[in-house]
Amino acid sequence: MALVHLDALYRVAVRLARNRAEAEDIVQDAVLRAFRSFHRFDPGTNCRAWLFTILRNVFLNRVRTQGREVPEAEVGDFDQVEMAFDTDVDRNPEEQFLQTMLHGDVDRALTTLPLAFREAVLLVDIEGLTYREVAEVLECPIGTVMSRLSRGRRLLRRALERYAREHGYVKEDG
Amino acid sequence: MNCSEIQARLAAYVDGEMAVSQIAAVEGHCLECRHCAALVRAEREFRQLLRRQPREAAPAELRTRILRQVRREAALAKGRRWLPASAVAVAAAVVVALLLSARTPPLVADLVDKHIAYANVERPTELASTDRREVAEWFRSRTGLRVTVPDYSPSGIHLAGARLAEAHERQAAYLLYEKGRTLLSVFMVPLPASGGTLRGDRVRYRDQEYVTYERKGFRTVSWTDDQAVYALVSMLDYDALLECADRLRQERAQQTRL
Repeated sequence: MALVHLDALYRVAVRLARNRAEAEDIVQDAVLRAFRSFHRFDPGTNCRAWLFTILRNVFLNRVRTQGREVPEAEVGDFDQVEMAFDTDVDRNPEEQFLQTMLHGDVDRALTTLPLAFREAVLLVDIEGLTYREVAEVLECPIGTVMSRLSRGRRLLRRALERYAREHGYVKEDG
Repeated sequence: MNCSEIQARLAAYVDGEMAVSQIAAVEGHCLECRHCAALVRAEREFRQLLRRQPREAAPAELRTRILRQVRREAALAKGRRWLPASAVAVAAAVVVALLLSARTPPLVADLVDKHIAYANVERPTELASTDRREVAEWFRSRTGLRVTVPDYSPSGIHLAGARLAEAHERQAAYLLYEKGRTLLSVFMVPLPASGGTLRGDRVRYRDQEYVTYERKGFRTVSWTDDQAVYALVSMLDYDALLECADRLRQERAQQTRL
């Protein structure tokens, strides 16, 4: 019945916390909480989303008590940056740089994204959750998932393009 | 739909989150518009790049540590009796299963469990459809997978729908058929599927090799070609399952020739 593996929880935790030791603590804490509140889990609902929700809450609680990354504030700042970018963005359908990505580039780029975008991209693109599941985990409407996903992917693309330039795969004038 | 409408919905389309009724409009447009078609391709490639990322496992030491702690908690909870013992046992079993599931049971055994799980939920499919073409199209737009949707209607086995399943951390295609009240699950797990060789008895049917295997009262017939592992799971008898397997193989061969 529980089809989410510990591995998936661990992978998400590493990318949320950007730190392996901390990720291990988060996963451990989340599994114990899942165990303690299992009687409240509604078997008709999605187990995977339920577990990721617990994991995320554990992570956010730690962040808040430590006074670090705050997701909502970051989104606000980026909204404005993105608006400015959007006007002159020319989508390039070729994107040869995708073929040139080195092992680890995607992860490196992902960790540079602000939390709100990182978690949306992570859950949909890396772990394969549906929009509805992600909306459940992030406790927000599906429309918000879609807009965060879209901005997250755009930021990720841009970071990857930057790496491709650093590796010398694409010319500066791109 | 015009270009800007298409581009606004590009992500939902490529993510397989678009209503089936709109998919045809996007595809019609992309046949005519090379720019939008190229954008769709680029979006797909980007998604595939992300999906191809190595999927690391949790450290074994972490798994052991958590298991130990869950067992300790279960023992304590039983002692305190703040929950019925049966609830504690279920919770502990589920959490332990969750942790151990990463130890990778044989692929087909995993698929039988999925068949049972799907049979017990209200909506076993994500796409309820009896239209083979629509189902194939749904997989293609959602995952880029070319899934063969065999026609079993001459044997009285009818398509009920499809979903994306996960098997051994790989995205798999799942087709659900019904013969009266008996369900037939067809899984296609793209290679490389982990789990080594298929478990069970080797049989030959119409000059092809299959593996049969029974678990929890369900019969399975599975085989591998150069693209995927295929498995049929049902309460139907082996003759019917082998017939269905042969049919799928033939249709698959026909499709790849095209």
